[in-house]
Amino acid sequence: MKCVTNLMVCSLVFGGLVYADRPDFNDKEAPQSLGDFREIQSALQSHLERTRSATVCLQMGGGSGSAVIISKDGLVLTAAHVTSKIDEEIKVIMEDGREFTGRSLGLNSETDSAMLQIEDAGPFPFVEVDLKDTTKLGDWVFSLGHSGGFDKARGVNVRVGRLVREAETTVQSDCMLIGGDSGGPLFNMEGELIAIHSRVGASREESMHVPIREFQAHWDELKSGKFIGDGGFAKKGKPGSGFLGVATEESDEGGLKVTELWKDGVAEKIGLKVGDLIVEIAGEKATKELMANKLAELGAGDILKLKWISGKESKEESVKLGERP
Amino acid sequence: MKIITFILAISIPLAANSLPSEKRKNGPLIQDALSPAQVSLQESSAVFYNNETSKAFLYGTVVSDDGLIMTKASEIEEVESYYVRVGTQKFRDSIVVARNDVWDVMMIKIKADSLKPVDFSQAKDLSHGTWVVSNGATERRFRRPRAGIISANKREIPGGAPAVLGVGLREENGDLFIDNITENSGAAMAGLKKGDKLLKVDGSNIKDRADLIAYLKKKSPGDKIKLSLARGDEELILKVELMARHKLYGKGTTRNDQLSGGEAQQSARRTGFPMVFQHETMLNRNTVGGPVFTLDNQFVGMNIAAVNRVEAFAIPGKELSELVVELQKSP
Repeated sequence: MKCVTNLMVCSLVFGGLVYADRPDFNDKEAPQSLGDFREIQSALQSHLERTRSATVCLQMGGGSGSAVIISKDGLVLTAAHVTSKIDEEIKVIMEDGREFTGRSLGLNSETDSAMLQIEDAGPFPFVEVDLKDTTKLGDWVFSLGHSGGFDKARGVNVRVGRLVREAETTVQSDCMLIGGDSGGPLFNMEGELIAIHSRVGASREESMHVPIREFQAHWDELKSGKFIGDGGFAKKGKPGSGFLGVATEESDEGGLKVTELWKDGVAEKIGLKVGDLIVEIAGEKATKELMANKLAELGAGDILKLKWISGKESKEESVKLGERP
Repeated sequence: MKIITFILAISIPLAANSLPSEKRKNGPLIQDALSPAQVSLQESSAVFYNNETSKAFLYGTVVSDDGLIMTKASEIEEVESYYVRVGTQKFRDSIVVARNDVWDVMMIKIKADSLKPVDFSQAKDLSHGTWVVSNGATERRFRRPRAGIISANKREIPGGAPAVLGVGLREENGDLFIDNITENSGAAMAGLKKGDKLLKVDGSNIKDRADLIAYLKKKSPGDKIKLSLARGDEELILKVELMARHKLYGKGTTRNDQLSGGEAQQSARRTGFPMVFQHETMLNRNTVGGPVFTLDNQFVGMNIAAVNRVEAFAIPGKELSELVVELQKSP
């Protein structure tokens, strides 16, 4: 008898805990009293230390955006129009001013999602992700970002609002955003990442974000460094603008023999030497025609996989094409 | 380094589920729920109306029961004449008591005797995420509350002296030379020339740039200062009128300024404050100057600048109370 009672108590407590995860204020059409505002405030504040420490500023080529770390070893989510290219070196700045080196992974040019990997050794502060897509229209949310660029004295900028519109690949909140916030995180009041800042409307209260479900839909492609789609958030290098910096001739034994290397060209940088034999291009048998076709098709910044033989050694490298001079 | 900040301003209409506007953060339902936090706002806010248009153009913060009001100096001087409302009362006449250009504040006096001033003893630092309440739009008899949270670190906002000559300087072998002159500045109108060597300002020796800036920081736009200059073999004294930095050098519109609505929305003077706290309440240049309270009606500061789409600055209560004491002592 006693045992049963205990079990019942246990299950009630357990049920209560699960239920408590979703704050009550989210299920009211609006705050009913100042008490509701205070509950929103304390929920938000309980997550601020952790979420701020994982919100980073990204800097490259004179541009600045935001991003958020989602794993101990430094996997980062951001917007495609912030990284704008794959396999690009990007400076990552923490709120306290510490700097790390990141490299952009894949991006989706049609929905504005992107990933980046910090190359320095962790552990890094990171946030939980709402992988179950539990956040609903009307839920209270908060937004973080390095608005207008990194400012150590100011720190990360916090804003609060509600989720006001939902579509498949975009959600809208009334948390205000500005330039520099792009790529930064939107959280629910359980402190989970629900979306990444993308763009704003004409009104100050219209902010658009890429939901996590959109990242999940392309997770492996993003993580493996793929440039997805042909949308407006990032442009591939212009076809034909890519440059390897190597002259070759077809070899009798098959493959392409390196006859000349441009100084500081990408071929030289990955360690190709005059006399080496390129045996595969993008996974296919290397021929003069294939090389010409690939270079006509790809642009500066695009990736070309090469396999070659140097002396007795076989080497393989994915090289990012330079700009044709 | 000029930093380009990323955001694309394209609004894609979302065909999907939408939250009705009255339930949104600045919607009427939220405003209704804030009404217990509106009490102090109603009592201790002043509203400035342009006499010509009868439009409210600025708020003020009531700091004494007998009618002293603090407000934003650079904004109030844009309007030729104005009247004031506090609570439901209207005050036709007011006088300027004193101003401080470093903080961009002005103290104004109306003839009143039983106003409810803000309580400076309540002022304290609030942590990130704490709700604060400011004036949104107003009605004749009712101050409408608008809420936002503390959004960033309390800090100094850099910016040069608020009153400027309009010259660039060059230091050479311990001497200070005029290197360039901004068009339409007081310096240009007084006839300063490139290459003039600066000897004295208002009769005192000026050693270097820092010396001059320190002197200018004590001055206000509109003040005149006497410059002793050496031009070739000649020694001359020119009287130069100082101008407001934000007027002379404009705002230098950035992409983020455009996104923030530009001049119509942003305070013209929005940099150069010795100390501010920052919140994200949606204000514009016409809704600053008023008090900021907590949900418990505790006074925490006075809004001093609508900076951009996401940032509003307020002077903390402690610093404002010191300014009130200082300005009451001014001759």
